[in-house]
Amino acid sequence: MKENMLVMNKKNFLSAVCIAVSFAAVTTACGDGKTRSTGLEFSPNMYDAIAYNPDQPNNNFKNGSTAQTPPANTTPVGFDKFGADYANTPADYERAGAELVNPLPVTKENLAKGEHLYLVNCAVCHGKDGKGDGSITKDREVTDSRGTRKLENFPNPPAYLRSVAANSSRGGAMADLSAGKIYHTIFYGLNTMGSHASQLNNDERWEVVMYVQELQKK
Amino acid sequence: MRNISSVLGRLAKSISISLVLLFAVTMTSNAQDAKEGAALFKSNCSSCHKIDKKMTGPALAGMSERHSEEWLVKWIKNSGALIAAGDETAIRVFEEYNKVAMPAFTQFSDDQIKSIITYVKDEEAKAAAAPAAGAAGGAEKSEANSFMIIGMAAILILAIGVIFILSRITKTLEKVIANNQAAIDAAQVRNEAYEESGKVKFAQKFLKNKKLVGFTALMVVAFLAVLGWNTMWHVGVHQGYQPVQPIKFSHQVHAGVNQIECQYCHGGAFKSKNASIPSANVCMNCHNTITASDHYDGETSPELLKLYRAVDWDPDTRTYGDNQRPIQWIRIHNLPDFAYFNHSQHVSVSGIECQTCHGPVETMEEVYQYSPLTMKWCIECHQTREVNTDNKYYDKLIEAHEKLKKGEKLTAAMIGGLECGKCHY
Repeated sequence: MKENMLVMNKKNFLSAVCIAVSFAAVTTACGDGKTRSTGLEFSPNMYDAIAYNPDQPNNNFKNGSTAQTPPANTTPVGFDKFGADYANTPADYERAGAELVNPLPVTKENLAKGEHLYLVNCAVCHGKDGKGDGSITKDREVTDSRGTRKLENFPNPPAYLRSVAANSSRGGAMADLSAGKIYHTIFYGLNTMGSHASQLNNDERWEVVMYVQELQKK
Repeated sequence: MRNISSVLGRLAKSISISLVLLFAVTMTSNAQDAKEGAALFKSNCSSCHKIDKKMTGPALAGMSERHSEEWLVKWIKNSGALIAAGDETAIRVFEEYNKVAMPAFTQFSDDQIKSIITYVKDEEAKAAAAPAAGAAGGAEKSEANSFMIIGMAAILILAIGVIFILSRITKTLEKVIANNQAAIDAAQVRNEAYEESGKVKFAQKFLKNKKLVGFTALMVVAFLAVLGWNTMWHVGVHQGYQPVQPIKFSHQVHAGVNQIECQYCHGGAFKSKNASIPSANVCMNCHNTITASDHYDGETSPELLKLYRAVDWDPDTRTYGDNQRPIQWIRIHNLPDFAYFNHSQHVSVSGIECQTCHGPVETMEEVYQYSPLTMKWCIECHQTREVNTDNKYYDKLIEAHEKLKKGEKLTAAMIGGLECGKCHY
C-alpha cells in the first residue's frame, strides 16, 4: 500500500489535494453567514467581567434589572426639577407658560443644536418644517417576510407655523405658544404625544423650544 | 349544495349592491358637505379623534345617535362654555375622558360643523357597508368551496375504482404464483447468493484501489481541517449573530419605511458611551395610538400586546398600571469588557454614520451583527481615518502646546490631573 502511495504521480497527488481542499472550503462556506448562536467562546471570564452592565439582569434587585430608577425626591446630576415645580395639569401648563422663559441665549450655535435635536426627536411627526406632516403621518408601505402591506398613519399634529394658523388643543393659536408651554408639552406630552423627558435633558429641551419658536415665526 | 350557496351568494351580492347604491345616493346628496367636512376633520379633529377607535377623545361613530345635532354644534363650538354652564351631558363626557378639555372651535360656522357631522356619518356608513361586502365575498368563497367538494368526490370515486382494479390484478397474480412455487424458490436462492458476492466484491475492489482510498482520506482530512480553521478564527467573533428577540421588532419598518432617526430611540449614541436600548416608554410615544389593528382584524397586534404587558398599559382607559416588567431584549453587539468603546466619540466628534459599523440596519427585518468587531477591524479603520480636529479637545491641546513652547508653567492639574476619573475608574 505504501509503495503504491509513493508511486502515485506527484502531479496527480497535488491536484487531488487541491480538489479536496476547495471542496471542503466550498461546503463549509454554505449558508448566508447569519447564525442564531454566538459560537465558541474562549475563556469567557475574560470577556464578561463580574461587574454588572447597566442592561444586564440582576437578581440583587426586586425587579431583576441592574438599571434602577433614582429614589423619589432625589435630583440626579444634570437633571432638573421642572417635574417637581410643575405638575401635569392644565393649570400648571398655563403657569409654566406664564412664568418660564428660555434660559439659553438665542445664538447660532444653540439654534443649530436645537435644529438637530428637533430633526431627530420631533420631525418624524411634526414634519421637518413644523407643518405637522412628518414621515409617519404619510401613507407608506413595507415589503418584508410577511408580504407587502400598508402601515397605519399616525394622526397629524397641528402645525406651528403662523401662516397655517392652527389651534392648540389647550386654546390659542399654535404660533402663539409661549416657551414655557412648549417646554411643558415636551416634558409631559399632550394628547397623542408622549412625554419626551427621558430622551432630552433640560438644556436639550430648551434648545428644541428655541428652534420651535423660530418655526412659529414662519 | 352548490345551488343553495350560489343562491345565498347572489342574495348577499344583491343586498350589498343595493346597500352601496343607497349610500351612494345619500352620499351624492351630501357629497359637497362631506367633502368640506373631510378636509375640516383632517386638519382639526384627526389628531385626537378617530371614527372607529377611541383615542385622546371618544370614537366618533354613533355620535349622532348619542347626542342631538344642536348639542353637538354647541359642544364643538365651545365645549368649555357648555361645561361651565352646567350641561349634564357635557360634564359627564368631560369627566369620562380624564378631564381633557376639547379646544373651542369658535371660528367654525354652524354649517361647517354640520358638514363635519355629515362626513362622520358617511364614514360610519362606509364602515358598516364593508362587513356586508365581506359577507358577499364569503359567499363567493363558499361557492368555490362547493366546487372543491365536487372535485374531491370525483377523485374519491376514481380512487375506489383504481383500488378495485388493482385488487383484481393481485388476485390473478397470486394464482399464477401458487401454480409455479417451486421454480420461484430456486430462483430466489440463486439471486441472494449473487447479491452478497456483489457487495463484497465492490468493497474489495474499492480497498484495492489505493488511489481512491487515498483521495477519500484526503477529502475527509481537508474537510475537517477547513472546518477547524474556520471555527478557530471565529472563536469569540459574533459576526452574523442574529438571535430571536422577545418582540418581533422590525428595523426595516421603523428606521427604513417610517424614517425614524436612529437617535430617536438610541439617544445615547451621541452623548454617552452606550448607544442605549430605548426604554419602553419611547415605544409608547407612538404605540399609544398605533396598534397595527388593520392587519389583525381590528385587534391589537400580538407583538404590541407584549409591549403593553411590559409597560402595563390599558388601551381602553389609556392609563398605565404599576406592574411593569422590563422587556428582555437579547444583546447582539457585545464587546468584551476589556475593550473600551465610546459611541459619542465616534458619532458626535468623528461624525461616523451608524451604518458604517452596523451595516444597513434600515433594511434589516431582523437585526444581525454586520461587522466582526475584532481588533483587526478596529485598527484597519483607525489607520486610514482622518481625525476631526474642529472641537474643544484639540483647542485645549494646542493651547497647552503653545504654553509649553513659550516656556510657561504647566501643572498636571491644568491638563485634567484633578479629574476624578483619572484615578478612580
